[in-house]
Amino acid sequence: MAILDVQNLTKRFGGLVAVNEVSFGVEAGQIFSLIGPNGAGKTTLFNVLTGVYRPEGGRVLYKGKRLSGLPPERIAHRGVARTFQNIRLFGAMTVYENVLVGQHPSIRYNYLDAIFRTFRYFRAEKKARVRAHELLEYLGLNDRAFELARNLPYGAQRRLEIARALALRPSLLLLDEPAAGMNPQETDEVKHLIRRLRDDLHITVVLIEHHMKVVMEISDRVVVLDHGRKIAEGRPADVRKVPAVIEAYLGKGALEMIA
Amino acid sequence: MTPGWIIAVIAAAGLASGGALMAWPRSTWPLLGVLGVLFACLSVRGHKSSRFAIALALLLFFIPAAGTENTFLFELVTQMGIFAAMALGLNIVVGMAGLLDLGYAAFFAIGAYTWAIFGSGQAAEFMSGSFPLAGWPYFYLFSALAIITAALTGTLIGLPALRLRGDYLAIVTLGLGQVVRVLANNLDQPVNITNGPQGITPIERPPIGWLLGFMRFIGLGDNPALGYAIFFYLLVLAVIGIVVLVNVRLDRSRFGRAWVAIREDEIAARASGISLTRTKLQAFATGAAFSGVMGAIFSAKQLFVSPESFTLLQSITILAMVILGGMGSIRGALVGAMAVTLLNIEVLKSFSDFLVDLRQSGYVLDLGIVSFNFANLSDQVEPAKYERMIFGIILILMMIFRPSGLIPESRHRLEAGSEKKDGMTG
Repeated sequence: MAILDVQNLTKRFGGLVAVNEVSFGVEAGQIFSLIGPNGAGKTTLFNVLTGVYRPEGGRVLYKGKRLSGLPPERIAHRGVARTFQNIRLFGAMTVYENVLVGQHPSIRYNYLDAIFRTFRYFRAEKKARVRAHELLEYLGLNDRAFELARNLPYGAQRRLEIARALALRPSLLLLDEPAAGMNPQETDEVKHLIRRLRDDLHITVVLIEHHMKVVMEISDRVVVLDHGRKIAEGRPADVRKVPAVIEAYLGKGALEMIA
Repeated sequence: MTPGWIIAVIAAAGLASGGALMAWPRSTWPLLGVLGVLFACLSVRGHKSSRFAIALALLLFFIPAAGTENTFLFELVTQMGIFAAMALGLNIVVGMAGLLDLGYAAFFAIGAYTWAIFGSGQAAEFMSGSFPLAGWPYFYLFSALAIITAALTGTLIGLPALRLRGDYLAIVTLGLGQVVRVLANNLDQPVNITNGPQGITPIERPPIGWLLGFMRFIGLGDNPALGYAIFFYLLVLAVIGIVVLVNVRLDRSRFGRAWVAIREDEIAARASGISLTRTKLQAFATGAAFSGVMGAIFSAKQLFVSPESFTLLQSITILAMVILGGMGSIRGALVGAMAVTLLNIEVLKSFSDFLVDLRQSGYVLDLGIVSFNFANLSDQVEPAKYERMIFGIILILMMIFRPSGLIPESRHRLEAGSEKKDGMTG
């Protein structure tokens, strides 16, 4: 069964149709890539999936239940986590605190528990702290745990965003250009990380990525967007041969030139 | 971590200035020394228990001992404490949650009126029963109630206001803050609830027989004016202690983390499962509650409340304390409140006294070419006339030279020495 089912999704900004009648399904355990030229509507699609924008048409089903129309925090509670294209960390908080914030929905105690430091407070906080360190360990950030997030180097900030997203205990993780701005070695690390997320943690990953090497090597399935429309879908090896895809990336007439 | 010898120096300075204050309770310099030591206790890192002990010795021994000679000391520190609670409350809203609130004095007013109405004959105007509610439990009961009424008002004002951000929120809170003041000003008709612009007086104070008994016992006599000065001093210290404790505990819980998270990035916070409305309302209600309880104490201390005590200027003064101290920093809010209160009611006053003395001395400054008779000193240089300007200059200088405040927010970070700069990437 598809864990994520996108049906005829449409998002307009005034006259611009950013996402136009897009449909696809993501199977549990897949690594699923969204690709397309700049301005194709990939990030907008992510924003609709995570509730930042409300769609004008169509719907999103997650584990068979409707996701579209819910506010972002409700969607997060359901177990859909994401990272952002332009890194959005809590800069004035430590690395460790960022991961604690990520666990917000699963830390359960009330206001009075916090003021009176009840048993429930200590139990929940301890659990969260242990888990925060596990996650930082997993992403190789443990020795930077008490630095401010904004002081981390770029690559570490990207990994911290993933750590924070994992703190939510998601079953679906949306990664928006996780390898952007990275050198080949770092890109390779990201690739392995994404595989590990799927294989170790059994998380379904939907990925927006421009590094074709990453996309082609790790994706089980690829959807290509252009001008808000889905122009191709299939296995990576098949998608790269579709004429419309080549045209979208290289411009009209590119096919003839290659031929 | 601060080296141990610095703590020893602070302790010695505390002892010296405390002793000096006891010897010259009316002199400004020992007082500044004592406050400086308190400031140092708040600003250095580590050695928690030693710092706490020094501050406690000053607050519970030296200042009260000197205060029995000069009640102004009690008045000053009580005032600082009242402002400190408000600064701490506003710090949650503005500093931690990043919501610019310019109507914060409204919650103080709600707290003040909560006790003022029932602790005076005022309540008899609109309900039956015998008022004022004298007797010991009522004041404490209503102080607790003030927490609830202020928090509720915070939630009510918050509900419509918190849909807005940044400047828009600031303007709306400014307006709603004025609404509370205008209501207080006009709710003498059709039913007289607040007694309008005349304000409410006299307001009951809780009985302090036990304290007067204790004062007789240690040979201080039983002057009720001194007794109440001591009582409110101790009460405010106790409440500040509780407020700080609550604030620290919330700060280190999922609530405090959520506040800072929405300040840092609303979209990322929501993607982490944080509900904006709920989190902002919690910040608003908590901040309001801190202010409300001090409002109730303030009304009993002053014996009088009127809408004039809760102006926009009041809100801005508290905001200045938060900014001066350091946005988001609990210790900063305390220091900011101390500094601004001191500036307002001690430093400018002393300077003003100094100018008056100078003028009366008729001293002639003769520099050969020009000579100036201080008797001709214009009264335009009276600090009272440009208090706000001095304030503004200090804030501007702070923004230029120390934009994150006297004690900047520190999110339990490791000391700078252990930070690695190895350029790790990937």
